[in-house]
Amino acid sequence: MIDELLAPRYLGWLLHGFFNTVVLAAVVCACATLVGFVLCVLRAVDRGGVSVAVRAYLSVFRNTPLLVQLFFWYFGVSSLFPEGWLEWLNTPHTWRVVALHVMWPPFEYLAGFVGLTLYTSAFIAEELRAGVRAVPAGQVAAGLAQGFTPAQVWRHIVMPQALRIALGPVLGQYMNAIKNSSLTMAIGLAELSYASRQVETETFKTFQAFGVATALYIAMIVLIEWGGQYLRRRVAYPH
Amino acid sequence: MKFRFAAIAALALFAANVAHADRLDDIKRAGVLRVAAFDSNPPFGFIDPQSKKIEGLDVDYGKAFAAKLGVKLEIIPTNPANRIPLLTANKVDIVLANFTITEERAKQINFSIPYFASGQQFIAKKGVLTSPDQINKLRVGVDKGTTNEIVLREKFPGATLVAYDDTPFAFTALRNGNVQAITQDGPKLIGLLANVPDKDKYEIPPFSVSDDLIGVGIPKGETRLTDFVNTTLRELEASGQAQKIYDTWFGPTTRTPLKRIFKIGDKS
Amino acid sequence: MDFSVIGDNLSYLMLGAWPEGPLGGAALTLVLSVSSALASSAIGLALGVALAVTQGATHRALLAFVGFFRAIPVIMLIFWAYFLLPIVLHIDAPALGTVVCSLSLIGGAYLAHSVWAGISSLPRGQWHAARALGMRPWQVMRWVILPQALPIMAPSFVNQWISLTKDTSLAYVIGVGELSFVAAQVSNRVMVHPTEIFLFVGAVYYLVCASLELCANRLARRYAVPVR
Repeated sequence: MIDELLAPRYLGWLLHGFFNTVVLAAVVCACATLVGFVLCVLRAVDRGGVSVAVRAYLSVFRNTPLLVQLFFWYFGVSSLFPEGWLEWLNTPHTWRVVALHVMWPPFEYLAGFVGLTLYTSAFIAEELRAGVRAVPAGQVAAGLAQGFTPAQVWRHIVMPQALRIALGPVLGQYMNAIKNSSLTMAIGLAELSYASRQVETETFKTFQAFGVATALYIAMIVLIEWGGQYLRRRVAYPH
Repeated sequence: MKFRFAAIAALALFAANVAHADRLDDIKRAGVLRVAAFDSNPPFGFIDPQSKKIEGLDVDYGKAFAAKLGVKLEIIPTNPANRIPLLTANKVDIVLANFTITEERAKQINFSIPYFASGQQFIAKKGVLTSPDQINKLRVGVDKGTTNEIVLREKFPGATLVAYDDTPFAFTALRNGNVQAITQDGPKLIGLLANVPDKDKYEIPPFSVSDDLIGVGIPKGETRLTDFVNTTLRELEASGQAQKIYDTWFGPTTRTPLKRIFKIGDKS
Repeated sequence: MDFSVIGDNLSYLMLGAWPEGPLGGAALTLVLSVSSALASSAIGLALGVALAVTQGATHRALLAFVGFFRAIPVIMLIFWAYFLLPIVLHIDAPALGTVVCSLSLIGGAYLAHSVWAGISSLPRGQWHAARALGMRPWQVMRWVILPQALPIMAPSFVNQWISLTKDTSLAYVIGVGELSFVAAQVSNRVMVHPTEIFLFVGAVYYLVCASLELCANRLARRYAVPVR
């Protein structure tokens, strides 16, 4: 079954896929945290339909499968774009930023990034909200009594505590983002699961191809788990 | 007592393994032939909207095999990448899914004699692709798990390949401009284009980059089953049924007329 | 956008080829979802209780086992179970069974942690008092601990069920004819209406999952521990 190891060429494909997964997950997590944070704050706004709009967004993106969302962004939305946009989006562009050449990523990366970020941000927003709710109400009251404005209460009293409480669950969402990145193989994004399928169909060494990919995923998750435990011991409040 | 039990268990296991070694007998005993066929690739295998069943050229061959064996036919839908795993994991008995015969694959599974021949071609928007030299500069959509991908990588290393789960996905990407051309077997592309509402925007440039022989995929080592399939294929050709099956899907009155240049037995 | 393609194919999207063929579409999604929910609840309960009562090497082994299933992407597990398990263990698993097993194991692993957290959140005094009354460990679990812990964990169970329902869409990779798979087939045949089809599919999943979410919220409000 495991008669011989994979040739370096195929290991190279797997590592390339692994690199894509790491980069995609990192970018998605960073952006999703920002978006989730904004959503969390907006949800608390009492004016207009803002809170309702945010709750609708959260409801839709948390209750539909990621695969369907990715298909929608890649196949569905691009059929709605006018011709000119699509051409621009799909031709490789390079810009010079200081000394680096920055390349415009191919469309599947864009669709995968948008799909994953919107999906993950909805979950992070909910985890942050749970963190905010867990901050004792007395803290807010005491802050206001001391003369802080509501915005200052948020910035200096509520948020620091909420973030520390929510650290564990948010890290859990980061781990989910890594695992969910495997779904972008359906839209042609050359990440780790896609690469393992490529290697498997060409070499027929199913066990090795999937084995290496699984080991890499587990390694990523375990690293985040350990990093999270370290951070939590240093920073988080026991809750 | 324990020894007798162990001996009987060992014998049963041995007997089960021996019996399991011959798939042809298993099929007859189970009364059903499990065939993997495409579900999104007209006219080889596709879902008929009225009957909601998978129909097509490959399915007709499957029906012929099942009829000859006197068993029921069960079609399991597949995409290109799942064909070999389905065979090696014993989920299907044979694969009738536009399966190109290659040496690499022949190490993992048995192939029958070829029953279809085609060449690898491309679809692109009109005017984009006129000669093979342009391919190296394009983004080309391929199907995961096909020989087309491997051929392109060998012959046109400059091209950017994006692999999708099945041909219609690649075509949607083509329509949306995510890739500039897609590649598959010529007849499959003709079948695809015939069913598309905006077919006037696309063309199949008249060159092909490989010659493929299509065979039936059979689990490795099943010689009796392979012989049965080969004999049946030859009989179908001799009786004229192979021609009839071909005409049902590629004949002059269909949406995808294509002259038949390969007959079963031309190559073995 | 032209939604007539949905109407033309509605029965195929909802039921698959049934009754002329196997059940598929949204009906199959529901079947997969309910089976996985039940199986994962059972597995999660068993593993969670085990995590709460074991110590030392057994505890660490259980943690590693549960950790593996929380770390592996669902697609990878489905691939392993469907294509490799038959080769390795010579067992022939049908596609549906593979999907239900994979989803149940992963869901069970997540629920195990929730159950463990729920059990641990109860005061230690409950254990001691029940044991002092002469109850055996399994009786303590059955009559004292679980009845108090389960209602608090109920929202977790429902949230996991929502996750499972969404994950049934991944059965598409091994050709199981649930809603995402048949929708892709229809979209592949019709070619020009991907947006409408995927919006419709999204709406169906949304209906199921959002109703479950309402359930979860209601349960959370009923049984929530008041925040001090």
